[in-house]
Order: sequence, then C-alpha cells, then structure tokens
Amino acid sequence: MAESSILVIDDEQEFVSTLVRRLRKRGWKSEGVLTGGEAILKIAAGGFAVALLDMRLPDMDGSQVLREIMKINPQTRVIILTGHASASEGEEGIRNGAFDYLIKPVEFETLLEKLQAARERSP
Amino acid sequence: MKMYVATIPGSALKVRSRESYYARQKRVFVVVVILVAIVPLLFISWAVSRFYQESWLDKTTVELTSLANNRREIIDLFLNSQENTLAGYAELYDFSWLSDPANLEKLFKAMNHQGVIVDLGLIARDGSHQSYTGPFAEHLKDKNYAETRWFAEVMHSGRYVSDVFTGFRGVPHFVVAVTDPSRSWILRATINSELFNALLASTVVGPGGDAFIINRQGEMQTPSRQGLASLPAWEKTLLLSKDSLTIHNTQGFLYATTGMKNNDWILVLKTDIQTSLADFYRARQRDQMIIGGAGLLIIAVAIVLVFSMMNKVEGADHQRVLLYDRIRYSEKMALIGRMAASVAHEINNPLQIIGDQAGWLDELLSEEEPSHLKNRDEYQPAIVKIRAQVKRASTITHRLLGFSRSTDGVKSATDINALVEETVSFLEKEAHNHRITIQRRLDSSLPLITTDSTQLQQVFLNILNNGVDAIGNDGEIAISTSAAGKQIMVEFADNGPGLSADALKKVFEPFFTTKKMGSGTGIGLAISYNIMERLGGTIEARNGLEGGCIFRVTLPAPLGNA
Repeated sequence: MAESSILVIDDEQEFVSTLVRRLRKRGWKSEGVLTGGEAILKIAAGGFAVALLDMRLPDMDGSQVLREIMKINPQTRVIILTGHASASEGEEGIRNGAFDYLIKPVEFETLLEKLQAARERSP
Repeated sequence: MKMYVATIPGSALKVRSRESYYARQKRVFVVVVILVAIVPLLFISWAVSRFYQESWLDKTTVELTSLANNRREIIDLFLNSQENTLAGYAELYDFSWLSDPANLEKLFKAMNHQGVIVDLGLIARDGSHQSYTGPFAEHLKDKNYAETRWFAEVMHSGRYVSDVFTGFRGVPHFVVAVTDPSRSWILRATINSELFNALLASTVVGPGGDAFIINRQGEMQTPSRQGLASLPAWEKTLLLSKDSLTIHNTQGFLYATTGMKNNDWILVLKTDIQTSLADFYRARQRDQMIIGGAGLLIIAVAIVLVFSMMNKVEGADHQRVLLYDRIRYSEKMALIGRMAASVAHEINNPLQIIGDQAGWLDELLSEEEPSHLKNRDEYQPAIVKIRAQVKRASTITHRLLGFSRSTDGVKSATDINALVEETVSFLEKEAHNHRITIQRRLDSSLPLITTDSTQLQQVFLNILNNGVDAIGNDGEIAISTSAAGKQIMVEFADNGPGLSADALKKVFEPFFTTKKMGSGTGIGLAISYNIMERLGGTIEARNGLEGGCIFRVTLPAPLGNA
C-alpha cells in the first residue's frame, strides 16, 4: 500500500472523529488514535504518509512520540499540533524532524493546506 | 524605586504605618543616650558637692570643738583666778582689818588694775554689809543678805560664783564670794560683765554664728551676738542635754556645747552652716550651670545623632519593604501568568472542537437540497457567528499564552528611537482619526541596546493603544527617550483623564481594564509588564502632575556606554 494515509493523534476524541470524517469526505484516507502508544503501533504497521500529532497525550509526551515515529519511519511527515501559543514547542519539534507545526485552535482550511503541503512533499 | 510606590500603593501604606514605630524608637534611644550621658554627670556633681559639704562639716566640727575647749579653759581660768585671788585675801586679812573701809578700798585698788571688779564688800555672819567699797555704797549700805540663796551657798561651801543677774543696779553682773577659813564672814566681789563678755566676743564662729553662755535654766549669761534675749524651748532642751563637750548638727546649725564653772554654766558655740557655706554654694551654682550647659549639649548631640541614625535605618527599612513588595508583586504576576496560560491551554481544545463542529455542519449543510431546509437562511449566518466567536476567543487565549510564554525572541542591537518611530507609524492613522497628536522628544545620543525589539515594540504599542483609548478624542501623547545613569528611559505621557489610585494599583494585572465592557481584554499591559520583566527592565505607571497618565519604561543600558 502506498503510504498516503493520514494519522490523527489526539486525546480529544471529538476532535479526532470529526477531523477523520471530514478528511475522508474529501477522499483522503485517514485514521485517528487517542494515545501515543496506538500511534506508534499504527506507524509501525505502515501506510501513513502524514501524522498530525498533538503534543499533549495521556500516555506519552508528544515529543517522545515524535522521536519514536522518526525512528520507525523517518519518511513520515509529522505536523505538530500544540495548545501552546508558543512557537518554541513547534520549533523544537521541527528540529527533531517534524514537518511543520500548528497552534490550536486552528481553522480547518489552514489544517488542510498544511496537510496538502505535507502530502505533496511526501516522497 | 520610588516610582513603585505609585504602582503599588499598599506598600506605601505599610511603610507609613511603621512611622510611629520609628518615632517611638527615636524617643527611646534619645532617652537612653541622655540618661547614660547625664546620669553619671549629675552623680559626680552631687558626689563632689556632698563630699565638699561633709569635709567642711568635719573640719568645722574639729575647729568648733577645739574652740569650745579653749574658751571653756580660759573662762574657767578667769573665774578661778578671781575666786582664788579673793580667797587669798580672805585668808590673808582678818575681819576687823577688812571692816575698815579704807583698808577695803586699798584691797579693791590692789585687785582691780584691769577694771575686772566693780566693787568689793565684806559681809558679816548675820548677812549685814560690814564694809563696802565701790560705786553703789548708798544702795548697799543697809542691805542684809542673810535670806539670799547665794549667802546660804557660800556659807555652806566656802566659795560661790553667781549666775549673771541684773539686780537693783539695772546692769548685768555676777558676783564671786568666798568665806574666811572659819566661815564667819564673807568677802564678795562684783565682776564686770563687759570684760567677761569680751572673752567670748573674740570667738570666731562665722557669719550668722553665735557664742554665749547659759546657766542651768537656759538663761543667757552673756549677750547673744544675734541679739537673742532668750532661747527657744527646743534649743534650751538641746543645749542643756549634755555637760561634756558635745556637737549637735540640727536646724541648719552646728553647735558645740560644753559644761563649765563646775557645770553650772554651759558654753555654746553655734555656726550657721548655710551662711558659712555661702561661698561654696556660689561655686556650686556656677558648676551646676556648667553641667547644665554640658547636659544641653549632650541632649542636642544625642537628638541629632539618634535622628540621623534612625532616619538612615528607616530609609533602609523602607527600601527593603519596597523591594520585598516588588518581589512579591513579581511572584504574583508570574503566578497569574501561569494560571492564565493553563486556563487558556485548556480552553483551546474545546474551542478547536467547537470550530471543527461548526465547519463540519457548514460542509454538511452545503450538500443539502436548499428547498428541504425550512430555516435555510438562518443556518449559514449562525455557523459564521459561531466561527467568528471561536476566532475571538482563540485570539484571547493566544494572547494569554503569549503573556506567559518564555522568551522565544531573538535579541539584537536595537535603536530605541527608531523603534519608537516605527511603532508610532503603526498608530499614526488611528491617532489622526481621533485628532490625537503624538509628540516625540527623542534623545539622539541614546546608545544601541541589545534586546528583543519585537517584544519591546509590543510594549510600546500596548502603551500607545491605551493612551489613545484613554484620551478618546482630541489630545496629545508625548513620548520622550533619555539615558540616565545605567538606564535608558522611555516615557509616554498622555493628557487623558489619568488613573484612580485603585487603577494604578491594578493596572498591570491581567483582565484589569478601565475600558468599556467588551472593548478591552485587560491583557495588553499585563503582557507588557511580563515582557519588561523578561527584558530586565521595568514598567511603571503614575499620574502626571498636570493630569493624564505617564508610563515609564526603563531598560538596562549596555555596559561601557554612557
């Protein structure tokens, strides 16, 4: 399977389910998980080109998940989603291999643009 | 630092409430210093005076004792010699020889070279005057002494010296009488009391003193120098109490008394202590004035020293309290910042979901057949409103998070004046619309400083925005920059209504706003405060003397630059 799917990683179930439905509606393959552990398993199973990663997860720290993803599949385009209005967390993520970052709350259109950009850059 | 009082009036109040404490401490210290300095001075003065008085008293006691002894001996000797002379004649001559007035006259002349004796009489066993020589012959010629006390006395003991009495002559005198060895007749002489008095007159007892003799009844035998006719009862009691030589110190007088003439008489020497010590008292008065002067000097020095010392202590305490308050205020602001960040962060997630759901609704609605939707015209605007409010709320949370975030900015060499100009340019249009002029008095010699210019500009912008809002329409904002010591200072003075004391106290707290409900979030100045703390500078607010509000931003100047 070509790695074209999008993995949404966030502990807010409402956010994950709505986003996945909206992405699918646009014909984008996508899946959602609520914990860092599930996310790592999914990435390990393969098939995800882009991951949208919330920095606050119940079981793991977002940056830890990012490092794991980069280890398992460095090709994955990770977009960091943070509740902090601070750029520092996102910039640190980029240094650790993330593709880009967004600050919550984010407009759906903006999110789509970033995801699109990530997919296009995908090898 | 002083400016801070305006920012946090609570601290000024606290300092003021301690003023009574310092006033009390000052009083205590002044009293202690004065006591420590003056008490020994007074004690020494008292001790010296006391020592002098006591030694004078000791010396005078010795002198008076010796004088009393000396006078007693002289007077006793005088009386004895009169008595012995008379007794000698009584032995030498017989009654018949003395009965001849011519012989008696011869004897009188022989005895009386010095004028000691006034007259001389020969009295027979029956008490009648046998013979007499002297000035009172007419009065005494027929006088019979058989019934008088002295006659009985002399017949009994052979010798007799009377007390002083006036008698019928009207002149004070006393008599010396002796019998012949067989006690059958009496030879009697009257002693000139003037001469006798002279023996005491030469006694030195000082001014106000006295020297006299009293008999056993306390009657004056010699005149008092002070003109006393008789003694008061207490003095009689005192003086008659002892026969041997005695010193009494009472009623301001020093007495020396001693029995004489076989203790029939008492010699009294009396010194007026106060009058005798007059010179000493004058000297003491002068000393007391000197001590008083020294005391005043000590008090003045104590007051000056204590006040200057306590004022320094008070100043230091004041600074300490202000510093403490400032630290507390910083801590409070940091806590508020962390709380705000945490709240904002928690709110961002639901905001994200609300926005997403509204967007999802919008998407789904667009797929519906419009004719099937009863309230078609209402859904779309409602969704737009939801999304607008989410955007509004997220603006607030983003700003709140900005308030707490740690330094992200990059520091670079910054020209403060240029930064001011740039910031003003952002606002000039709005200011112009409100007919507000922005004046600049910029110090062209300001050095470049290394700081986060983006954040600093946000501070300037927040202050200017507030100024424009405070003025409303028609007004002026004056911006000045200057370098003072190790600081660079930027002041923004508006001519708006200024701030109340309460507002000055809270102006840097988040969500505090004087603007109308809904027009300001009250975050701008809180963020500015936070930024200035991070940049190592300060931000302070106060009211101008001529109204309006003045915000002062200070930044540390770079080292090595003026």
